[in-house]
Amino acid sequence: MRLHKQAPWPRRLFTEIHWIRNLDAQAVIKRTRSITRVCLVLSLIIIASCDLGPSNRATGAAQQILHLGNGTEPKDLDPHIVTGVTEHNIISALLEGLVTEHPKTLQPQPGVAASWSLSEDGTRYTFKLRDNAYWSNGDRVTADDFLWSWQRLLMPTLAGEYAYQLYPIVNAAAFNKGELNDFSQVGISAPDPQTLIIDLAYPTPYFLSLLSHFSTFPVHKDTVLAHGKKDERGTLWTRAENFVGNGPFVLEEWRLNYLIKVTKNPFYWDQESVALNEIRFYPIDNAQTEERMFRTGALHIASSIPADKIASYQQNHPEKISINPYLGTYYYRFNVTRGPLVDPRVRRALSLAIDRQILVDAITKGGQIPAFSFTPPNTQGYQPPSGILSYDVGLARQLLADAGFPNGKGFPTLELLYNTSDGHRRIAVAVQQMWKEALNITIALSNQDWKVFLDRAQSLDYDIARAGWIGDYADPNTFLDMFVTDGGNNQTGWSHPQYDQLIAKAAAQADQSSRYKSFYKAEELLLNDSPIMPIYTYTRVQLMHPEVKGWLANILDHHPYKYVYIEPIAVNE
Amino acid sequence: MTATQLKSAHSNTDYDSYSLWREASYRLKKNKMAMLGFWTLLALFVIAACTPWLAPYAYESQNLALGASPPSAQHLLGTDIHGRDLLTRLMYGSRVSLLVGFAATAVSLVIGVLWGTIAGYIGGRIDTVMMRIVDILYALPFMIFIILLMVVFGRSFLLLFLAIGLVEWLTMARIVRAQVLSVRKQEYIDAAIVTGLSHWQIIYRHVMPNILGPVIVYVTLTIPSVILLESFLSFLGLGIQPPQSSWGVLISRGVESMEEYPWLLIFPGLTLSITLFSLNFLGDGLRDALDPRTAKS
Repeated sequence: MRLHKQAPWPRRLFTEIHWIRNLDAQAVIKRTRSITRVCLVLSLIIIASCDLGPSNRATGAAQQILHLGNGTEPKDLDPHIVTGVTEHNIISALLEGLVTEHPKTLQPQPGVAASWSLSEDGTRYTFKLRDNAYWSNGDRVTADDFLWSWQRLLMPTLAGEYAYQLYPIVNAAAFNKGELNDFSQVGISAPDPQTLIIDLAYPTPYFLSLLSHFSTFPVHKDTVLAHGKKDERGTLWTRAENFVGNGPFVLEEWRLNYLIKVTKNPFYWDQESVALNEIRFYPIDNAQTEERMFRTGALHIASSIPADKIASYQQNHPEKISINPYLGTYYYRFNVTRGPLVDPRVRRALSLAIDRQILVDAITKGGQIPAFSFTPPNTQGYQPPSGILSYDVGLARQLLADAGFPNGKGFPTLELLYNTSDGHRRIAVAVQQMWKEALNITIALSNQDWKVFLDRAQSLDYDIARAGWIGDYADPNTFLDMFVTDGGNNQTGWSHPQYDQLIAKAAAQADQSSRYKSFYKAEELLLNDSPIMPIYTYTRVQLMHPEVKGWLANILDHHPYKYVYIEPIAVNE
Repeated sequence: MTATQLKSAHSNTDYDSYSLWREASYRLKKNKMAMLGFWTLLALFVIAACTPWLAPYAYESQNLALGASPPSAQHLLGTDIHGRDLLTRLMYGSRVSLLVGFAATAVSLVIGVLWGTIAGYIGGRIDTVMMRIVDILYALPFMIFIILLMVVFGRSFLLLFLAIGLVEWLTMARIVRAQVLSVRKQEYIDAAIVTGLSHWQIIYRHVMPNILGPVIVYVTLTIPSVILLESFLSFLGLGIQPPQSSWGVLISRGVESMEEYPWLLIFPGLTLSITLFSLNFLGDGLRDALDPRTAKS
């Protein structure tokens, strides 16, 4: 042991660390004691740190602050360039369109427009704007704001993914495609600051629903122009210190990857019916973390739940978990512009080779329904074609062989892109193996952060990409019009003239059954050509503490915040 | 000095070093914990090498209908959520983890020891320059450094070793340099210079044996950290990709569902812990056994 004194410091240190070797009984006891002491102190610290005062649930109930898990960090808060549910959840607190939605039935309710009328032939809407609608800086919300905002959305140079939402308006499509440069020819006019007249190219039964979608929300002209050009994406006007909105809440704080805080807007016309003082959105893309925060009372509502925990919640806390129908489809996009996926036979082979039933039973576990069409069955009475897709490995092999890859021979390794999440990875791993076993082809998995993922999908920089589409309104059109040629949310490169015609024809038809017939034919084309591979129809699996009221289940999972409030709770959890 | 005398002096050193190694192995064999570590590691290596013949299932074959099942007669360590045999995946994972652990550490060992020895032995301005380079590299956020390397050179298994090794050698270089500095000042180095040994001979015969202890201990600490680093890289999508597995990946998957399926975390965690303990025991034993100063006492 003499050596210890001479040893340079690293050796002394390492001897200390590796004391187990020196089986000197006394020393061991002494050290065990000191370790016990350290453990004791540590556990005290842990216990002390656990008691950080009342939970978010308790303070939330007392002060009407709603804490929401919101999936991932939003791409932006500019309503004209975002597409995600995450962004929707925040924007619908900050901005308000001409109409709003009933929290349960989703029927149009007066928003910025106090009233409206529709002409006999169903093509001219006249909106009367309320005189007490204000922006959060005190400016009046006028018809010009809508005119300006919709022009912005339709500008070809902005390339808004959702621009096609306004296509029912006369000449809107032509303006968006750059065929028409004069915006005054588009069927929107504002004869006075409180009147907005919209001329539709054809009667559109779901048009009012479009107006409660965030893409048709107005933006504050001066604020946008103060931080960039009108058609510039990603400028600083959406930062917390700049944002001016007209919704029930104002953007108070935006800390990247940590928190978005919105507080009650004193200028909001209906602020008396807003019960909540504050909403905090937490971007948590890890379902485990989110569930843990929910359990400890840091969140009122979790946006997702790990599939493994669904069963135990249903058993132990049935009041906190709900599973509801959700108008949305989980699917994979195929990039039809490159590689073997150019061939529709290959795409169909991939789609036929996966067993959707076992995926929902064993992986997602939330009562999801295997999807063999893109539009969920029974969307407003519409029944999509069935029987085109199925689980048919034999046919899949045959199609792949016809395409020149018998038994997967010569098939290149394709990349399957998904945004980082355990749930998406599990499905991808299962699908990867199904394709391997059924078709003997190799797929590499690649996960990316949400913003990168969206950019790569939009610029067609992928082979196969995971996607999910939630209906924006209850009509098959919200699913089918996105695959028209160059549609902003098409993002597969797929284009079929006959499909475009059918969608346009459906739009022009007033009669519901002939409209649905056109949709049916269009969807047949879509499924046969398979630029996409539907996997399952979503269900909304949600964790919510029971004291949250006014948050009502509906198929779009829209929850207008002005109806939400928190009941007082006993502070013992 | 005559040629005969020189020769005898040399043969004398030869004899000494031979006896050092023999004595070291003798002392190592007496150290029970170290030998336990050694045999455990050897067993792990043999299993990893023979995995393709030993593994009960294919590592990627799924049984979704079975799903996650606890240990049973068919699946000794249970199955994961895709119904894949955990034992098989652990065995295949050990190939990746041990290979990355040892190969990347070897890269860092070679670079670090060379760099540190040269800097410490030559000293002066060269030492200053070399150590400032190390400082600069230290200042780079090492994750970004690795990601940059992987992005520039593409994703490959071989590069994974190299990238991790290239980052991990910095601490090694510092430790080695500090040791060399202290050894360099000893009288027997002066004596060796007086006897006319070349610098390389001095480094090889006198400096190296004296710094072996800390180096070996540090190596045993680097291997586990590299194994964990690999799992982090895989998580970021830069390391190995599914359906392949490594210990780190298995552990991070196990954490996802540790409340529902604890065996998915316990067994990979246990395997990694056993490996780390074995490495530490063996490293400790080697350090004591190889220390030339212990030999004389």
